[in-house]
Amino acid sequence: MSETILSVENLRVEFETRRGTLVALDDISFSIAKGEVLGVVGESGAGKSMTGAAIMHLIPRPGRIAGGRIMLGDQRIDNLDRTGIEAIRGRRIGMIFQDPLTSLNPLMTVGDHLTETIRVHLPLNRRQARARAIELLEEVGIPDPTVRIDSYPHEFSGGQRQRVVIALALCAEPELVIADEPTTALDVSVQAQIIKLIRKLCSTRGTAFMLITHDMGMIAETADRVAVMYAGKVAEIGKVSPVVGAPLHPYAQGLMGAIPSLDNEEPRLRQIPGSMPSLTALPGGCSFHPRCERAMDICRQRTPALLGGIDHKVACHLYEREEVAA
Amino acid sequence: MSDSEFVRVEKLNRVFDVSKPLLNRIIERQPKRFVHAATDVSFSIAKGETFALVGESGSGKSTVAKMVVGLLPATSGTVEIDGVSITGKHDRAQMRALRRRMQMIFQDPYASLNPRWRVANIIAEPMLALGIVKSKAEAQHEASALLKVVGLNPLDGRKYPHEFSGGQRQRIAIARALAAKAEFIVCDEPTSALDVSVQAQILNLMRDLQEQFGLTYLLISHNLAVVRHMSSRIGVMHFGKLVEVEESRALFKNPRQSYTRMLIDAVPDISAATRR
Repeated sequence: MSETILSVENLRVEFETRRGTLVALDDISFSIAKGEVLGVVGESGAGKSMTGAAIMHLIPRPGRIAGGRIMLGDQRIDNLDRTGIEAIRGRRIGMIFQDPLTSLNPLMTVGDHLTETIRVHLPLNRRQARARAIELLEEVGIPDPTVRIDSYPHEFSGGQRQRVVIALALCAEPELVIADEPTTALDVSVQAQIIKLIRKLCSTRGTAFMLITHDMGMIAETADRVAVMYAGKVAEIGKVSPVVGAPLHPYAQGLMGAIPSLDNEEPRLRQIPGSMPSLTALPGGCSFHPRCERAMDICRQRTPALLGGIDHKVACHLYEREEVAA
Repeated sequence: MSDSEFVRVEKLNRVFDVSKPLLNRIIERQPKRFVHAATDVSFSIAKGETFALVGESGSGKSTVAKMVVGLLPATSGTVEIDGVSITGKHDRAQMRALRRRMQMIFQDPYASLNPRWRVANIIAEPMLALGIVKSKAEAQHEASALLKVVGLNPLDGRKYPHEFSGGQRQRIAIARALAAKAEFIVCDEPTSALDVSVQAQILNLMRDLQEQFGLTYLLISHNLAVVRHMSSRIGVMHFGKLVEVEESRALFKNPRQSYTRMLIDAVPDISAATRR
């Protein structure tokens, strides 16, 4: 296996509230290698974005990391102070947010955005920074970058703005880019272009991506490995083809079955009954058991561990026994 | 008009005036400018059928939907529902009778329900306004029954919209459309704000209700997989024109327009995972 860029071990995030402590993320572990795309999927509230925020120290108050380790290369980053994390944010880890319009300042030209960010992170003068900005715009596929660099965000289309945001994230040549729903606001044809761009950047620059999305199709087209999250835990993680093609966890199976596809002739979609529990009322044992068709007694009592080989792990009691036997 | 045409849209046009103000035009010597949001759009929908309009943002899908229900006046062209034109002049009674037969479900269930009203009142409103029920008590009773039809608890009627999740709110919006005894429902991106598992629940509910009440749907969506799953016929819109209208299966198997081909190919598909 190639060089590991990011490794998250047993991460736990808690929110102190008047009604007690809420566990937003519980025992999250995964790693991302150089040039790899890790997809993180799940429904709203599953903790996908929270995981990204935890890595960047952007958890909203009163949330805090209550346990575990986050390693970026050889450096531990979960316990850094403000100045420590600021040296990493943008420099070694880039971030792409969902809405490309709100993540750009409408009063600054695209060039201002890029040169400012470049000069914060790299020791370049104004002219060098501008030249680099033009290179970056060219790389993300903005036509005619020498002219477009002086345009304002509103003069770009949604897809082009998202390209600008990607260019911004790449300014300092980060090792890892966390992309939180990068294509949700875009049309399918534009989405396909962004997917291609991400894959190109992985292969040419060796940038690792953590791709947070609820779109399973996007994951299937872009990611190398995928983590399925449910109620603050990783339910299943592994290479894309086994996890998406033949999921083991009943939740992952339900999720795949719920997606209408272009060649599915079934009149009804498979649906998972009910909805994800709120963090204030997490059921005991496996948090999916109230919605699970195959729930057993043990599911109500004990939380399943994430078990399996390097290529495919699942947290479900259905498979624990086989594991012991094997 | 044949029996199979429940909704008939003919040569529908909508032009928006996007000119600068008069003074600016005189100073800058510029002519008026217009955007053709819909150009000669014609299609028909049979009773009990689901017809879908797909296209990218800005292609004019929602403009057409709004004209079909009469929320936006057409520049020219006609919309007929069950043989009655809604674009022509009408007396109030006739228009009212027609309105009750069509309803709309909007994209954002967070914005389309009044946050200060209890859910039972939201559902009861069209029944009272359209004179479907005689008394408030009867309306409340009907509202509870409808909540049950869309898979919610009848007691939920006492709650306010903010107490519900996105999927539950969309169920409430559907209940409200049913309350008016609508036969024709225009759904503008009904599931694009929802998670996939919730989307599956809502799409299944829409299908069940269609069977139960013989509903006719006009579905507006940019999600081709949803459209493929739900509709019997599909119209593809591009820059305000309807470039292709085809039976759903044939369209996906054999698109005639290169634009349609491009849209279909761009859809990220989960089967890509096993191909790689």
